Amino acid sequence: MTDLGRLAVCLALVCAAFSAGTSILGALRRRADLVRSGTHAAYACFALVALATGLLLRALLARDFSLEYVAAYSSSTLPTNYTVASLWGGQKGSLLFWAFVLTLFSTLVQWQNRDRNRDLMPYVTATMMVIAAFFLSLVTFITDPFERLAQPAVEGADLNPLLQNYWMMIHPPSLYTGYVSASVPFAFAIAALATGRLGDQWIRTTRRWALFSWFFLSLGNLFGAMWAYEVLGWGGYWAWDPVENAAFMPWLVSTAYLHSVMIQEKKDMLRVWNMVLVLLVFSLTIFGTFLTRSGVISSVHSFTQSGLGPFFIWFLLAVILVSGGLIVYRLPELRTSGTIESFLSREAAFLFNNLILVGIAFAVFWGTVFPVISEWVRGVKITVGPPFFNRVNAPLGVVLLFLMGVGPVIAWRRATPHNLWRAFAFPVGSGVAAWCALLVAGVPFSLAQATFALSVFVLGTIAQEFWRGMRARQAMLKERAPQALARVIGKNRRRYGGYVVHVGIVSIFVGIAASSAFRIEVQQTMKPGDVATVGRYALRYDRIETSEDGHMSSLAAVLDVSLGGQQIAVLKPEKRFYKKPQQPTTEVANRSTLREDLYVVLGSYDPKSQLVTILAYVNPLVVWIWIGGLVLAMGTAIAVWPGPAERRAEVTSGAFEAERA
Amino acid sequence: MLNRRRFVVGAVLIAAAVSYLVYAGVRSTAVYYFEMDEFLGARTAHAGEDMRVKGWVRAGTIQWDPATNKLRFEIARKDGSGAVPVDFQGILPDMFAEGREVVVEGRDEGTVFRARQVMTSCPSKYEAEKTGDPA
Repeated sequence: MTDLGRLAVCLALVCAAFSAGTSILGALRRRADLVRSGTHAAYACFALVALATGLLLRALLARDFSLEYVAAYSSSTLPTNYTVASLWGGQKGSLLFWAFVLTLFSTLVQWQNRDRNRDLMPYVTATMMVIAAFFLSLVTFITDPFERLAQPAVEGADLNPLLQNYWMMIHPPSLYTGYVSASVPFAFAIAALATGRLGDQWIRTTRRWALFSWFFLSLGNLFGAMWAYEVLGWGGYWAWDPVENAAFMPWLVSTAYLHSVMIQEKKDMLRVWNMVLVLLVFSLTIFGTFLTRSGVISSVHSFTQSGLGPFFIWFLLAVILVSGGLIVYRLPELRTSGTIESFLSREAAFLFNNLILVGIAFAVFWGTVFPVISEWVRGVKITVGPPFFNRVNAPLGVVLLFLMGVGPVIAWRRATPHNLWRAFAFPVGSGVAAWCALLVAGVPFSLAQATFALSVFVLGTIAQEFWRGMRARQAMLKERAPQALARVIGKNRRRYGGYVVHVGIVSIFVGIAASSAFRIEVQQTMKPGDVATVGRYALRYDRIETSEDGHMSSLAAVLDVSLGGQQIAVLKPEKRFYKKPQQPTTEVANRSTLREDLYVVLGSYDPKSQLVTILAYVNPLVVWIWIGGLVLAMGTAIAVWPGPAERRAEVTSGAFEAERA
Repeated sequence: MLNRRRFVVGAVLIAAAVSYLVYAGVRSTAVYYFEMDEFLGARTAHAGEDMRVKGWVRAGTIQWDPATNKLRFEIARKDGSGAVPVDFQGILPDMFAEGREVVVEGRDEGTVFRARQVMTSCPSKYEAEKTGDPA
């Protein structure tokens, strides 16, 4: 069966190459039959990759330890859900899974556009199939997941216990989905450049895909943060590790793109800039994959099988050269006449937001590759750690937050004093009021304080938008308030969905600012009966509890938590010792409330003296980061849901009309 | 055209601000990163400076006292040669074990490397494995 898997991958590679070649040939010679067979080959490619992925999954579930991959990443005692997760838990499987998602999306795109965008589609197919061919050739020639062991293993080495976690099951697929779907707007951009159809057509077609990709990148990053927070036990959720940065950079540029396309749609400006952003997002996804697979940059994450690095670099270079070349070739046609009339305009606010986002991405990129660059230039490796990223990005983030309040409400073209007053009196008033309240409450002057005040300002602008939209409908149509609110959102989904996403982002900002500025950290060695004071809480160490099952043994410190003399919880931070691979892991005990998390880790235990060392953190408002993620998801759902006008347009003309934002 | 120029000024200002932040950030937070061999060669030149050193935990050298959370071990080349003692006070990372690849961050004090942070990685998987306190 596994030979069938290998055969399927090989044939899929042939199909991808064939599809790319015939599609381009068909487009150049204007031969519909060639284009059609290119499309069919792309479908076949998907079917074959799906078959191979299914076979690998079957081998994992059947616990076929004669396969090297199965033996390395699962075991007979691994629960079924994590066995499924081992499909992407290792290098080889994850590359196959990547190809699977890519060809799946390519198939979806073909089907969506079976009657539309026929001029662009051959190039879209070709671009996606070239990418697929790249990944499939890695799977075929370099990292064959169907490789057999000379001697079938009796038992597997098991999935790394750190990865046996709920968030780890959904974090990688989310991120892959985000990464891979970024290739759809990229493919359409390439098609637009190749055909010279540089108008809004490709942007409209890929608007939902870009949002989809952005959404899954957001989720992937958040799930990764949650996993780090719950599993790694260092009290934080983001460490600016190269691997995290690899996922963060495309998110930043993708966010910039989602905003700047609005300027192109409304004002027909920034065509070149949008092309560059799409190209950049895709390149960053490839770069991110390169970072995580090559071992070029040392990370606390560990990498092996670094033989893949050069392939990714060459592919990345080819991508940049080809798409950069196409942009330069089309430069005269891409130029637009629109200019920005005033700094006090929505165009300017969006543009500065773009520059800040790309600036943050640049800073993250620079910090990530700094060791490599310093080694080239000065012959010695120099690294920058989390302090660098925090110092650089915190002030930029605050500016971004400010622009998030300005952008959506300032007038297009040029804001008049009247417009400014109308748009900003209430939000600025509430922001200033919040700032005064913070001062009175004794919150020290800091970036965190600025973040809180600006957050209120941004929420003020959003609340005002909802309010005015609702009132306008009420006044015109005599609807009742809830109905008017629901209708005004329903009629302008993209706009109000965007606002809801902004509310989520504000929530995330607040959570990050509070938990990084006002975090309390206590490390204490205790004997039974001792009490540690952590912020408002008193933690009394009671005893050690041990337990054991076939999979692992565990050691838990029982801590009585009281607040103001009142016992409120019992926390049991744990150390677990897995049988295989033999390795202790930390199980965090976290008491999470809307106000703050009490996060306790069992650092060490000395059986002789009965002493335990605990690490306890109070992380204020962390929960609001996750809540923000939820709100963000809701907002995205509102924004992508087809509105009534759109549905009609799609039925009648096959194209859809962008809502008037 | 005036407006275009004005906008370019704005963009340049933002780019300059970002560049300045990056430059200042690098200056104030950069630490050297040495592989074990480079470290042994550069020890005297960079004594007392912040650095990260990547090496392996030499077998048979781990002394860990869970009552006081004092750790001492020797960091060495993969084959165990060129060993330098490391002192660390803090929580023992989960993945810490003999023969493991580790990165220590701290200062070389001549006779002993005083680590503020010990980071471990497991070489058999490419996935995330973080321990120690990266903050």
